[in-house]
Amino acid sequence: MKLSKKLAIFSISTAMVAGVAFVAPAQAASKDLAIGVTLDIDKLDPHTATSFSTVRMLGLTYGSLVEVGPKLDIRSGLAASWGFNADSTELRLKLRKNVKFHDGSAFDAEDVKASINRVLDTKTTAAARANIATITSVTGSGLSVLIKLSVPNAPILAALDGVNMSMLSSDDIAANKIGKTVNGTGPFKFVSWEPGQSVKLEKNASYWKAPVKLDTVTFRIIPTEASILAALNAGTIQFSVLTSPTVALQVGKNLNLYRTPGLGYVTLQLNARVAPLNKLDVRLAIQCAINRAEVVKTAASGEAKVVGPITSPAYASDPNDRPCPNVDLAKTKKYLADAGYADGLTFKAIVSPTQYATASGTAQNLKAQLAKAGINLELDILDNATYVSRWLAGDFAAAVANNGGRIDPDTMYTRYFPSTGNLNKVAGYSSATMDALFLKGKATGRAAERKVVYKQISQELENNAVWIWLFAPYEYRAAAKNVTGFIPLATGSLIELRVVDLK
Amino acid sequence: MSFGERISRILLSTPVLRIGSILSTLFGISIFVFLVLRVIPGDSIVGAFGIETGVLTPEQIAQLKIYYGIDKSLPMQYLSWMQSFLTGNMGYSYSTGISIASLTAKALPVTIELALIGTILGVVMGIAVGTFSARKPGSIRDFAGQLFGLMALAVPGFVLSTTIVTIMANKFHYFPNGYEFVRLWEDPWMNLQQMMFPGLVLGIAVAAPVMRTTRSALLETVDKDFVRTAIGKGVNSRKVQTRHILRNSLIPIVTMTGIQFGYLLGGAVIVENIFSLPGMGRQVLYAITRREYATVQSSVMVFAILFIAINVITDLIYRKVDPRIKK
Repeated sequence: MKLSKKLAIFSISTAMVAGVAFVAPAQAASKDLAIGVTLDIDKLDPHTATSFSTVRMLGLTYGSLVEVGPKLDIRSGLAASWGFNADSTELRLKLRKNVKFHDGSAFDAEDVKASINRVLDTKTTAAARANIATITSVTGSGLSVLIKLSVPNAPILAALDGVNMSMLSSDDIAANKIGKTVNGTGPFKFVSWEPGQSVKLEKNASYWKAPVKLDTVTFRIIPTEASILAALNAGTIQFSVLTSPTVALQVGKNLNLYRTPGLGYVTLQLNARVAPLNKLDVRLAIQCAINRAEVVKTAASGEAKVVGPITSPAYASDPNDRPCPNVDLAKTKKYLADAGYADGLTFKAIVSPTQYATASGTAQNLKAQLAKAGINLELDILDNATYVSRWLAGDFAAAVANNGGRIDPDTMYTRYFPSTGNLNKVAGYSSATMDALFLKGKATGRAAERKVVYKQISQELENNAVWIWLFAPYEYRAAAKNVTGFIPLATGSLIELRVVDLK
Repeated sequence: MSFGERISRILLSTPVLRIGSILSTLFGISIFVFLVLRVIPGDSIVGAFGIETGVLTPEQIAQLKIYYGIDKSLPMQYLSWMQSFLTGNMGYSYSTGISIASLTAKALPVTIELALIGTILGVVMGIAVGTFSARKPGSIRDFAGQLFGLMALAVPGFVLSTTIVTIMANKFHYFPNGYEFVRLWEDPWMNLQQMMFPGLVLGIAVAAPVMRTTRSALLETVDKDFVRTAIGKGVNSRKVQTRHILRNSLIPIVTMTGIQFGYLLGGAVIVENIFSLPGMGRQVLYAITRREYATVQSSVMVFAILFIAINVITDLIYRKVDPRIKK
């Protein structure tokens, strides 16, 4: 046989190694859940954790005083009950009995005091510090805790939820162990972290709530969502967190897809301190030129919900309660003419395509829609860290952003729109009316009265076209059919894996 | 010969010049990477805290700058890192708390294994198809071979990877990379399965330039006098092909292979991502997004050293395949 033929046959046969004769290893029989996620965790300290992946994983190992339920209601967590005094300046908590940390030590008021003080300590660089900055003291003993506030602040209760407000062992804090070990009260114990590959957890047999059914949970890092879906289809993982509507739409009938409108929202942030966006008429012109349903259809394949400023379910803004609920080019032209831009105008928006799945599509669709109204939107495409850096510095005229939402509108926006908010530079807007409304919202304890205040805030934001609120993307969880009992939460938390079973 | 002449002769000798050139290249790369990372907006604090950086107080920012070592002047930051690097301490990854040396020690073998598999597959496919084409230039087989080369060049790696992953998972329920990555010495069989498809994707990418280089090198050599002489002397066709034509065409093929192997070491990021392989590409990409300066700088230096080592090895192979170079 000639050499060339031999070589050709050899190379083809080598390529045929890709033949599919290999058989995947058999599935383990124990209740081990493998979860596919695109991003690795980046730390083990729950108070300073900010990335979604870290917060999601640590949420399974730690507990907080209150929890958010499936209907986004505040439920008891490590605090069994609570009550405010008449003017909402004191919060009394009764802690749950028989709660233990993973190392077997009991959870009590000392741990609450040490944990909250750790969050308040500037040296910790805790992510939730701003949300609880009104706490002046935490006292108590045994299972009773008293939290005193500098001003009336009913939303403080919602601020006690979440990984960033995890209750840590006072002994661990004193021994400076936080971030080096994971010793929480959550349904799963931390076992190991192989950076870039996986995080392993095991069942906490003495969890305070219902018995945990899964033996282990492994977060497996698979950097692309298409590969995560492939792994689900191949059966090498049983559960996944997806963010891309394109990938979610490819989930077949062999899997369960959980689709939940999230609290986060996609918006075109306008910097009202930068010309020409400092003119209200220009901002209103932009608002009237955008068909939000079209953005959803184009950028998110129809997989999102058009929203107003407040996405917190109990206070949700009516998306039709805005100057132009539907696109109105005649109004746009009038606003532009009134602002002195009858011939159109140009402004720039920063966008980071790698930040979230719908970023590019949203930016391109906005550009196309605004072009029809004679507005030239120039896109400044940036990598994520560059984008965040410029965003934080308020170094932009506009920003296509996907911001996180909260179950309480105060914690959602208090850092943006009051003039004292530490992200007010990013918000690009403040007013005396807004400041007064946010103060009123904080001081109001009754739900019905708070709804009125936050409706006013929502209208103030829309009527001044402070930003252009577009849509709330869905949160997706895909699971194999044998994964039962999972309850998706709009907060993105996976805490309900504590009730999941593998059949 | 005077002492001065002797010294200048030593300094101007090939090995010394070569070492000098390597060191100056590495120094230039270290400066370039260091500066590029500082020029792009964002720093380690923004990389770690994201938008939550906005809620940090000035005191907290000052503390974090000290923690991340970015409170010093740029020359001091460079010298501090270089001093550590030269003493074998590549620094720490702030996100994992693990030394960059141990992260690299885990990631580098994955990348080298992947690059080796890709290169071997690519060279075998490339030489075979190139030889196949060159045997009858202008014929249908030549057209088919060149078509293969063009397609391999034209199809992006991510398209090929995603297609393979999707078809294998959906049709055959087979995606070994969905399992945790297993190292060669832990479970060779599983490791082979996890490396097979990414290796094939990279192999196809390498095969295209190797095939084109092989084809043109063979066509150039086949007209040489010594080939005609060999045929005229009645040497059998197989020997002419291997010992006379192929061997004398190897220099450009070796050069191309060396270059491609070097690129694979640093350029397999997309394939590593799609096939979930914890290699150096992912390590560097992750570190760039988080502005973990020491991780990026040290990893790039490792790449640079490897690339230079490959060039040196390529030169040694030249000497082996073409004895004239020794002279």
